[in-house]
Amino acid sequence: MKQSIREALPGLDLVLGWEQGWDALHATPLFIRKAEDVDRLILGPTCVQSLAVQLPSLKGKKVGIVVKGCDSRAVVQLLRERLLDRAEIILFGFGCDGVVSLKRLTKVLGDLDSVTSVKKTDDRLVVESPDGRREAAFDDVCAPKCLDCAWPNAVESDHFAGPRLEPRPPAESKTALERFEEKSLDERFAFWKREMERCIRCYACRNACPMCVCRDKCLAVSRNSKFVSQEANPSESFMFQLIHVMHLAGRCVSCGECERACPMDIPLGLLRAQSTAVTEELFHEQAGTDPEAPLPLLTFKTDEETIEERD
Amino acid sequence: MDTIFIQRTDIGRWLDRLAEERTVFAPTRRDGAVVYRPYRTGFVLELDAMPTTSPKEIVFPQNETLLTYSRAGNASGGAPKVEARETLPEQKAVIFGARPCGVNGLGVFDQVFDNDKTRDAYYTARRKDTRIITFACDRPRSTCFCTNVGGGPGDAAGSDVMLYPLGDGFVAEAVTTGGKAMLSLATGAPAGDREVAAKALVETAREAMPEPLELARIRENFDKCFNDMEFWEEQSGKCLSCGACAYLCPSCHCFNITDEGTESEGKRLRSWDNCMSYTFTAEASGHNPRAAKAMRLRNRVGHKFVYFPETHEGEVACRGCGRCIVSCPSSVDIRQIAKAIQEYCDDDK
Amino acid sequence: MTTNNPLMPLMATIVETVRETANIKTFRVRLDDEAAMRDFTFLPGQVGQLSLFGVGESTFVINSSPTRMDYLQFSILKTGEVTAALHRLKTGDRIGVRAPLGNWFPVELLKGKDILFVGGGIGMAPLRTLLIYMLDNRNDFGKITLLYGGRSPGDMAFQEDLKEWAARQDMDMVLTIDNPADGWAHEVGLIPNVLKEMKPTPENCIAVTCGPPIMIKFTVMALQELGFPDESIITTLERRMKCGVGLCGRCNIGGKYVCVDGPVFSWAELKDLPQEL
Repeated sequence: MKQSIREALPGLDLVLGWEQGWDALHATPLFIRKAEDVDRLILGPTCVQSLAVQLPSLKGKKVGIVVKGCDSRAVVQLLRERLLDRAEIILFGFGCDGVVSLKRLTKVLGDLDSVTSVKKTDDRLVVESPDGRREAAFDDVCAPKCLDCAWPNAVESDHFAGPRLEPRPPAESKTALERFEEKSLDERFAFWKREMERCIRCYACRNACPMCVCRDKCLAVSRNSKFVSQEANPSESFMFQLIHVMHLAGRCVSCGECERACPMDIPLGLLRAQSTAVTEELFHEQAGTDPEAPLPLLTFKTDEETIEERD
Repeated sequence: MDTIFIQRTDIGRWLDRLAEERTVFAPTRRDGAVVYRPYRTGFVLELDAMPTTSPKEIVFPQNETLLTYSRAGNASGGAPKVEARETLPEQKAVIFGARPCGVNGLGVFDQVFDNDKTRDAYYTARRKDTRIITFACDRPRSTCFCTNVGGGPGDAAGSDVMLYPLGDGFVAEAVTTGGKAMLSLATGAPAGDREVAAKALVETAREAMPEPLELARIRENFDKCFNDMEFWEEQSGKCLSCGACAYLCPSCHCFNITDEGTESEGKRLRSWDNCMSYTFTAEASGHNPRAAKAMRLRNRVGHKFVYFPETHEGEVACRGCGRCIVSCPSSVDIRQIAKAIQEYCDDDK
Repeated sequence: MTTNNPLMPLMATIVETVRETANIKTFRVRLDDEAAMRDFTFLPGQVGQLSLFGVGESTFVINSSPTRMDYLQFSILKTGEVTAALHRLKTGDRIGVRAPLGNWFPVELLKGKDILFVGGGIGMAPLRTLLIYMLDNRNDFGKITLLYGGRSPGDMAFQEDLKEWAARQDMDMVLTIDNPADGWAHEVGLIPNVLKEMKPTPENCIAVTCGPPIMIKFTVMALQELGFPDESIITTLERRMKCGVGLCGRCNIGGKYVCVDGPVFSWAELKDLPQEL
């Protein structure tokens, strides 16, 4: 990977990758501009951020981007929506065998500090810190999206590093969404009320979402047509989430960045999963997997084969 | 003696008694996040992890009503009757489980919201009868840097009671007379030798804290790098421009004021706002003095390390709690930005 | 402030409105509490927050003079949500007022000096206050000159005042518009260009200017070219504001808050602030 970036770098304005953050458990986006920056690049289970979120604001520049399978789906979907120019983007893909969820990891191993090393060996994650060596089954601490990842390899790439990996089989046990949907409406509403109660309206979920492209023009802060008030309460916060979900219908690439970015650990992925399940069932397609496919919600058909019309 | 040892298992009983008189805001887990919530019997306390949110929310809530208004039509066709009613809060509270950095953050609030020029009626109404029970830190996180910015893991300034963790309990020391009254409600034994032992742990933690930033140097260099947009674009590149850092920060106090309701009735709200948001400074004309993310990050860092010190005798507004680092989705590290300013050299520019 | 809650407006009633131009409307208001109105004091340059409940608050300069206290006057350019809603108000409507806020023109310092006013568009509003204040204390000041420009004849606000000022012998007035127009008997050209042609002398003279940011920029350059030192150039700034009392954090330029340390600044002061206008 480093070699192919080094070779391509002279023709590019920058390459987006990851480097280690303040400890080994936290990766942080790396903007590679000079050859020596390449040495700081890391790939591994801590490289959680979807760097695709940076691309729309870098339009006009020639940008390389290192992508996991899920990240590449965001790029592909943005290309498909003509929000990016393919000629401006060089994809450095690789096969990703899963990333860590800090939330799940601390649930299993407790609060971790000053982590010096994080290694994935087969199906285990080994974390070292001054408190000692701790390990857990990777499936217990990975991001939920990785458990049944169908797209471990970059969907599209100009350079591909390392071996191509096999997709994970669909989970045998029920998904979080299926388990949630077994609950009564009252229970589900009570759940969201409790979760949304701690929302601080920082909009990290929105800003970390690679498909959220209205940016500074978001209707959540618009005063002219107030869809959402500034009042902090579960119903207003939930209203914003529903608007976000609606804007993502048929577009969400299930990268889980909304949930990962949330500083208050609100399980926002569950809401997106629901909408994604509906659109995938209706249109038999997954967002961000084919740059040339027509956009289902922007395509008019007199007869929708999957939607039963009323008589 | 004002110093006693309280067993962890006796903390709940103490809070029960405190809660008879005051609303006790104490840390509890909500999924992975640790938040302050009004204490009730049976509440599961989080006595170890630093809360995700800062204690500012207890005296400066995410939302508060400044006034309510109504406008009633006039049947005889004249001008409608318009009324606005002030809604001042009443609060008798205890913040339990703050950390010294969070309490220091309230020091910034006190200076901004309650001074000879401006006295914020809502803030002072909440603040004046809010008492604080603080945990000294025997195990600062690797993202903590309070000693860099004038604080310390055992800093008692602003607290009414200090709790020093030791084994299966806390050495509790009253700092103020209000604290002494609160402590008299606790079940504990004389601290004895345990006081020295507990304070030694905190002192050891203090000594292990990182090397201080050169704050004077940062102030001096800020002017030099101010117009170097390439520098600021590099610093802000990975920032997502969300408000997580500001809303979790114990000293960030910027707010918005909006009217929520219809023209005939509603309320005027004050709610947290943050300088990383484009709309924060966007003017109706379309002009925005901080239109670019790089300018907004420059302002945020500038406010903490340069602008606030300019008007407050060199005091830095950042309290070194590290919340902005821990909770940043992109792992932006304000210490690194401060260091980059400190080491900024404009010789070759 | 007459209340001890700086965020709580006083109720006031609109006693008169004047349509100035297609998008500028003037409101004359009186505080409902007669005692508060009687005791209300301010200095030229200070601003107020007008509240239209259910829509919001916005900041405007009090552009009447403290020497004429029949009402407080605000002239409002329609630009956003609040100003558009304010434009719909009529005589008799009630609004909230938080005033006076901010600093003021250094009137003591201006005494005995020649004064050159350079106003563009709605930027004439703060200048009007000071100009009338000076005319009402005419003996305290030297020569008074006004250069006022608008895009077109229809953009010239304060027509009543212009008539009065044109007739006065104790001040000079030059009016200009950007492009020639039928029936326009005054200057044509951009304000900084007309200013250069006027060749005002900088000796013992203070220039006070207000207008759109781009006009201020070029006017200040023209003044500097004419030999005005930065200390002798005074301007007023605008920023998005919410609280108006130095708390909410958005109107800062470096460590200064436009709402309390401004809106009036000398160019010498502005030069030392971070360049973030």
